[in-house]
Amino acid sequence: MELVIKNISKQYNKTKFGLQDFSITIENGILGLLGPNGAGKSTLMKIIATISNPTSGQILLDGIDISKNPNEIRKILGYLPQDFGVYPNLNAYEFLEYIAALKGIGGANLKERITQLLEGVNLIDAAKKPIGTYSGGMKQRIGIAQVLLNDPKILIFDEPTVGLDPEERVRFRNLISDLANDCIVILSSHIVSDIETIADKVAIMKNGQLISHGYQQDIIDVIKNKVFEFEINSNDLNSFKEKYLILNTIRKKENILVRFIANEKLPNVTICTATLEDAYLYQTKNK
Amino acid sequence: MSFYKNIIKADYLQRSRSYVFLITLLVSVYVAYTFVPGYDSGYSTVRVGNYVGKNNSAWIGHVTAIMASTFLWIIGFYLVNNGIKRDKETGVGQIIATTSISNFGYLLAKTLSNFCVLLTIVFIIILMALGLYIFRGEGNFDFIQFILPYLLATFPSIFLVSVLAIVFEVFFGNKTNLMNVVFLFLFGAAIAITNAGTFPNFEFLDPFGIKFLTNQMVEMVNLTDASNTNYISVGYLFSNKIKTNYFDFQGSSLSILYVLSRIIWISIGFGMLFITSKFFNRFDAKVIVLSQKKSENLILNEIKTEPKQIILSDLPKMNAQFGIFPIIKTEFLMLIRKGPKWFWLVNFGGMIALFFIPINQVYTIVLPVLWFLQINRWADLATKEKFFGTSNFIYSSFKPLQRLLTSQIIAGFLLTTLLSLPIIIREFINGNLFAVILIIMGGLVLISFAVFSGIISGGKRLFEIVFFGVTYSIVNGLHFVDYFGAFHHDFKYLIFLIVVLFFLLATSFLVRKHEIMNQ
Repeated sequence: MELVIKNISKQYNKTKFGLQDFSITIENGILGLLGPNGAGKSTLMKIIATISNPTSGQILLDGIDISKNPNEIRKILGYLPQDFGVYPNLNAYEFLEYIAALKGIGGANLKERITQLLEGVNLIDAAKKPIGTYSGGMKQRIGIAQVLLNDPKILIFDEPTVGLDPEERVRFRNLISDLANDCIVILSSHIVSDIETIADKVAIMKNGQLISHGYQQDIIDVIKNKVFEFEINSNDLNSFKEKYLILNTIRKKENILVRFIANEKLPNVTICTATLEDAYLYQTKNK
Repeated sequence: MSFYKNIIKADYLQRSRSYVFLITLLVSVYVAYTFVPGYDSGYSTVRVGNYVGKNNSAWIGHVTAIMASTFLWIIGFYLVNNGIKRDKETGVGQIIATTSISNFGYLLAKTLSNFCVLLTIVFIIILMALGLYIFRGEGNFDFIQFILPYLLATFPSIFLVSVLAIVFEVFFGNKTNLMNVVFLFLFGAAIAITNAGTFPNFEFLDPFGIKFLTNQMVEMVNLTDASNTNYISVGYLFSNKIKTNYFDFQGSSLSILYVLSRIIWISIGFGMLFITSKFFNRFDAKVIVLSQKKSENLILNEIKTEPKQIILSDLPKMNAQFGIFPIIKTEFLMLIRKGPKWFWLVNFGGMIALFFIPINQVYTIVLPVLWFLQINRWADLATKEKFFGTSNFIYSSFKPLQRLLTSQIIAGFLLTTLLSLPIIIREFINGNLFAVILIIMGGLVLISFAVFSGIISGGKRLFEIVFFGVTYSIVNGLHFVDYFGAFHHDFKYLIFLIVVLFFLLATSFLVRKHEIMNQ
């Protein structure tokens, strides 16, 4: 399965763009989307999920233009939006049955599938209670369960781990890894470690444009041997910031341990192993 | 003071930038135009027996102010009674709760914001009244007699409805069904006082402040024609067959008692706010939780089962099933479950009344009121995706326009039919098949209008305002708002309803199609 995004733009007015001439090809596996607020991640996901029309450009799913035939992708789509709600007067079973009907699936196995999904997202004990009484994390898990109702082949998760506790986050990451074998999974998150753990490829966006795309290691390799740590006096931090891109700081009594990027090794600094977060900050702050 | 000013300003701007407000303003322009009929219009709005005033500035000022006072109670209440609710939903309320503003201060600011919103509509009505005087009026322009009824009747009247909106929000919260019943009752009582005969000092009990003004009209008519009946009617009265005489209304003579009564009504408004502020929970989450079903609050403590791993390939396989019956079923379930369970006792009572009370009262009171009492069920039929935040994943499902919107309309229609079933059966037994068709068509028109108004305005307020106005008008015998054959039993009217239905549905589907692709 292949999703080709060709020169997509989303323009809101003369000067404001959600996406600008965005192109990418996505194949089976997990694509992690990274970018600061307003980079266009959610806009891109909404366009792929067929709930937002691009101003120009094409999205082809195995050669079929989904802007013209949105129902082709909707049949195999699982989408978890960033902000979503539920109907408080329905219980989890009723809500998932409703979503299943909207997705155009049913049959004798539906109840069993819903039961297994609710067991998987740890909601089986609360399944007969009205969703209006659920906590934020429980609602988020209902959202995850609805994504998996219809044997989806394209899964879009926009900030899926918001509201989940650490244990649930780990369970979710394992679930996503399992899905990646024969599906396209697109995942956006502000938590770089979530992407780092599970994504095969990473796309970094800024101001509606794609600024970097490739395998994680290739993106990290751009700053290989350029990440250092150095302990400086806190009074010198401002002047240091003007010369180098600071990635992180940790207070240590009078001094500050600074993690930064430099093109050449300075005296008395420690060279560090670059991470995806370093590469992300380098890409978004430098470009 | 700047604190108050900022809350009022922010609240006013938030409301005035909504489509509902814009639509209400447009409707107000048209409604204000109809307040002063021309001599050959075939209807009147304020009438003393067989007499109607000549269109001079005093008459135009009085009539438009009197009509605005009642009109803005009907639509004003529904337009503004969501100020506190919105603060609760957006979370702004919890921020406000942590500031130093007092409960009374907050409620007063919200009331004044409501007042400003309604005042804007009054200004539009005044401008229209001026325009009508220029194009339709006669005699010299008497500014005092033109503006006085607004100052003494309309302004205090809209202040009171602004207060009532806040009081009802605090006491009824999400119990909108109960709120509708109480408001309907209160409004009916206020109108009854206005329409009561000319008892001494009775005019001071009238919250609209219009009875004093209409009494002055009666006195003036009696000076012209002592034999004329002193019965005054306020509201649209279609009277082609009644001979109309015209009298020269010179305006009202100011009475200290009347002015005092209006000040007292305003003071009562402040008093109600003060008392209400003692019961305002200041967005206290605990109070909100406690008001829900207690047994459902401890879900987190009840979780016992260990979670199982989801292996997608092991999950039971699904079949494609594109029928809409399960969607209709759940939509119907959501309609039924809205509101408190006891409210169904009221509904059953209404349904029994549909079967037994005289048929003309069924059409003019019971059926329209029974349908109106479900206003909360119909109002967000097609906008709940937006309100509850489910639109993003629901609109990315399979053929959402054709399948979901159709299911919502069918579910709503099933409920209107269920509620009206006794009168349908009764008319069927009577052999009046045409009446059955008209009631069924009425249910469809009602649901389609709920869907239409929700989709074009993006919320439920427009529907609430219009539906209240329509129901009130039907109960008062206004034929032109009849949507289910209460007054019309001819084939032409059925065709008219079909055309309206087609327009509502076609527009709803077109706008929703655009919405789905532009989230």
